[in-house]
Amino acid sequence: MADHDPGQPKDPPALRYLEPEQVKIYRAEDGSLRATIGEELSVLSPRFVRVCPLTDPDRYISIRGDDPHGKEFGLLKSWRRLDPEARRLVEAELERRYLHPRVKRIVSLKDYHGVQLCVLETDRGVRDVTLRDVRDNIIYFGGTRVLITDAEGNRYDVPDTNALDRRSRALLARIL
Amino acid sequence: MATPPTLPESVQRLVATRSPGGDVRIAAPSDLGPTGLLGERWLVLAGDRVLVCAADGAEADLLLDLPLSDISEVEVENLVGGAALRAVVKGRKVDLLSFTNALGDRFGRVRAQLDAAAKGKPIPEREEKVKRCPTCGLVLGEDSRVCPRCARRGAALRRLLGYSRPYRGRLVLIGVLMLSGTAFGLVPPYLTGVLVDRVLVPKKNVHLLAWLVMGLAGSSVLSTGLQIWRGRVTAWLGGRVSFDIRAALYERLQWLSLRYFDRHTTGALISRITQDSGGVQDLLAFGLPWIITNLATVIGVSVMILIINWKLAVLALIPAPLVSLVTRSLWNKMRAAFHNFWYRWGRFHGLVNDALNRVKVIKAFSQQPVEIQRYQVRNLDLLDASVYAEQTWGTIFPLVWLVMGSGSLLVWYFGGLFTVHGDLTVGKLMAFLAYLGMLYGPLNFLTQVTQWMSRALTAAERIFEVLDAESDSEQTKGEVVPEQIHGEVEYRNVTFGYEKHQPVVKEVSFKTAPGHMLGLVGKSGAGKTTIINLLCRFYDADEGEIYVDGINLRDLSLWAYRGRLGAVLQEPFLFAATIAENIAYGKPEASLEEIMAAAKLANAHDFIVNKPDGYDEQAGERGGRLSAGEKQRICIARAILHDPAILILDEATANVDLETEEQIQQAIARLVEGRTTFAIAHRLSTLRNADNLLVIDDGKIVEFGSHAELEAKKGVYYNLLDLHRKTSLVKAVSG
Repeated sequence: MADHDPGQPKDPPALRYLEPEQVKIYRAEDGSLRATIGEELSVLSPRFVRVCPLTDPDRYISIRGDDPHGKEFGLLKSWRRLDPEARRLVEAELERRYLHPRVKRIVSLKDYHGVQLCVLETDRGVRDVTLRDVRDNIIYFGGTRVLITDAEGNRYDVPDTNALDRRSRALLARIL
Repeated sequence: MATPPTLPESVQRLVATRSPGGDVRIAAPSDLGPTGLLGERWLVLAGDRVLVCAADGAEADLLLDLPLSDISEVEVENLVGGAALRAVVKGRKVDLLSFTNALGDRFGRVRAQLDAAAKGKPIPEREEKVKRCPTCGLVLGEDSRVCPRCARRGAALRRLLGYSRPYRGRLVLIGVLMLSGTAFGLVPPYLTGVLVDRVLVPKKNVHLLAWLVMGLAGSSVLSTGLQIWRGRVTAWLGGRVSFDIRAALYERLQWLSLRYFDRHTTGALISRITQDSGGVQDLLAFGLPWIITNLATVIGVSVMILIINWKLAVLALIPAPLVSLVTRSLWNKMRAAFHNFWYRWGRFHGLVNDALNRVKVIKAFSQQPVEIQRYQVRNLDLLDASVYAEQTWGTIFPLVWLVMGSGSLLVWYFGGLFTVHGDLTVGKLMAFLAYLGMLYGPLNFLTQVTQWMSRALTAAERIFEVLDAESDSEQTKGEVVPEQIHGEVEYRNVTFGYEKHQPVVKEVSFKTAPGHMLGLVGKSGAGKTTIINLLCRFYDADEGEIYVDGINLRDLSLWAYRGRLGAVLQEPFLFAATIAENIAYGKPEASLEEIMAAAKLANAHDFIVNKPDGYDEQAGERGGRLSAGEKQRICIARAILHDPAILILDEATANVDLETEEQIQQAIARLVEGRTTFAIAHRLSTLRNADNLLVIDDGKIVEFGSHAELEAKKGVYYNLLDLHRKTSLVKAVSG
């Protein structure tokens, strides 16, 4: 191990940025997802991963190979400029990967000795949520954004606490 | 020391006979006699002779007489509770004298002087650090010259109030509210008196009844309203002022010199920010207003009862001093009981904490019964203390009230007599008693004030001590701001010790070219980290100079210099923030593209993107999901983005798998390229890649050269390498 000398790197690795025009995304005849990058690369079942899913979700999408440690083929800029069919495919993939319900309203919140049961109205429907050790499971982003992780590990995004209605804000203040 | 200590006459005579005509170049008294008992011994360098003599009697006894030329080196041996000054005489170590820790600084200086004299160098003059209070002689904290005994409490209070100066308007408002609130509080007993005399006793004037009750209601409502208003304003002011103090304190902490942090535990500093500033807030928001309102009440009530009947007032106030004395001694007893209880509670807490932390060890050694026994003992201790404290409280509290009520007994008796004899109306007696009830509470409180104030003011002083401590910016701050730092580094005869009499780095000289990598090799404790600390200018060298690009480090602007300095430390430290923010720590304005490029070079980009939150993933305290290797690569990315001219690399010997190890090494190789690097190296690959190696032992450079040169030399480095290979082999086989 120690005797192995990695030496000076001749060619430092660089990131590959991709314009939407360089990328083609489509379903092959067998129904599998494919991505073609430039003229030279065809990726079978690519994964689309957001580089900054919370702070800037649409800035870059990393196009990666299928396995969990899959290689990165490039960083796709502004994917919303892809052609409509490709955009729809990417959007569906992103929707599938990122389950981040956004909280629109806090319907109720009850405290039982440190465990909170609350009913959240999210953009994916109304959910009954159990919170435990909330103060350790809340991430603050900037001044007004919070991410709440419930007892089961699901995450709820409150993009702007000030945008909530008065009652929701008052309920939220009890656990923040 | 401003003036050299004057030699006692007996010593002078002795010196004159042993070294006739030799002028006294060094003279220092020690506080330990030859037998180790407290006593006086003198070390004198007169002419070319070193003399040690005891000076307790009328005649000085000569203990040692050495020619200076025989001495090759002088050193301090640290003992327990003291230290000894030793000279190397013809290769043999000779004890000159010993001294207690109180003189450690003085003899550190003497050592340097005598050492210089023995080596034929000029004797350095050095100021003794002021460590004692000039007025009372109390030993002071190293970085603070505030004497806790002599500092005037009044000064602390004034300084504290100085922080409320920006809010002068509110301060005046509070004063007005307090006084008017107290004044309205005095109205109800008076009205009760009128009610009894004009309505109840004569059983007429019913029309007055409604008015009087309304008056009672009105004054109560008004006084309550004023109280609420005052409470809200004081809470704001107290909070605001302690906010300002906390802000000043934290800002100060960021700039304090590292020597300060060496001497104070993190816990003690945290308690200053949290507890002490909390104490100050209590004083400002609750304490001072309370004291003032209570004082105002005492004065107002006294005036009222004097108006009603001065004779009765004198009678009522006679027991007051006595009552104060008795209650005060009772409270003291109780406080002692509670102190004891809290102290035991702390010890109990410590035991539980300790036991839970080493639960595996306890189980592995099957020591549960012993632990339970230990716990039981502490628990019983705690039981005793809590029962005692609560019982004392239960006994003393009613007693205090009994004693306090004694004044009113006198009033009942004499006031009753006055009333029967027609000197006092029933209503006035009622009012009088009501006023008296208002008096004893505050009076009792005021007996506690001195105690309580002194505790709060001690907290304030502890805060001021931090605010007054020496900071980085107070060190001689360089002015030179070079356009560019290339990274040529030279050490010239650098000597340094964290304790001045105990150098850790001794006369180190070397030079390294810009962009070169220098590997520091040596056993732990040899002085590698200290050499780096000096390069970072965390400390200044005691002797010798460090040059960067030919500029003395002391002349370089610290701010500009540190901005071009980067470090990857053994312990990868991440802040509680996102990965992106952690990488951009040294360059907060960096774009996402720059951050990603740095991460890519550090072999970190791929694992980061594969995290659920990518670059938004939380690191730091809650970054439990990051492995050691990942944290290291994030730290490397941080250094790459910071793009320092001089890089400090304290290689980790972390337990990571081979693949990660290779990734880290690759990342480090990319980071190091083109920068002057000081590497505390553990990996053979780093040693090989280094342009030069500095082999250090006991603070001195023993070998300097490239890997190949030193390997061929078959000296210290060769042996270290050999050892390293063997352990690597063991690791490779077992791992």
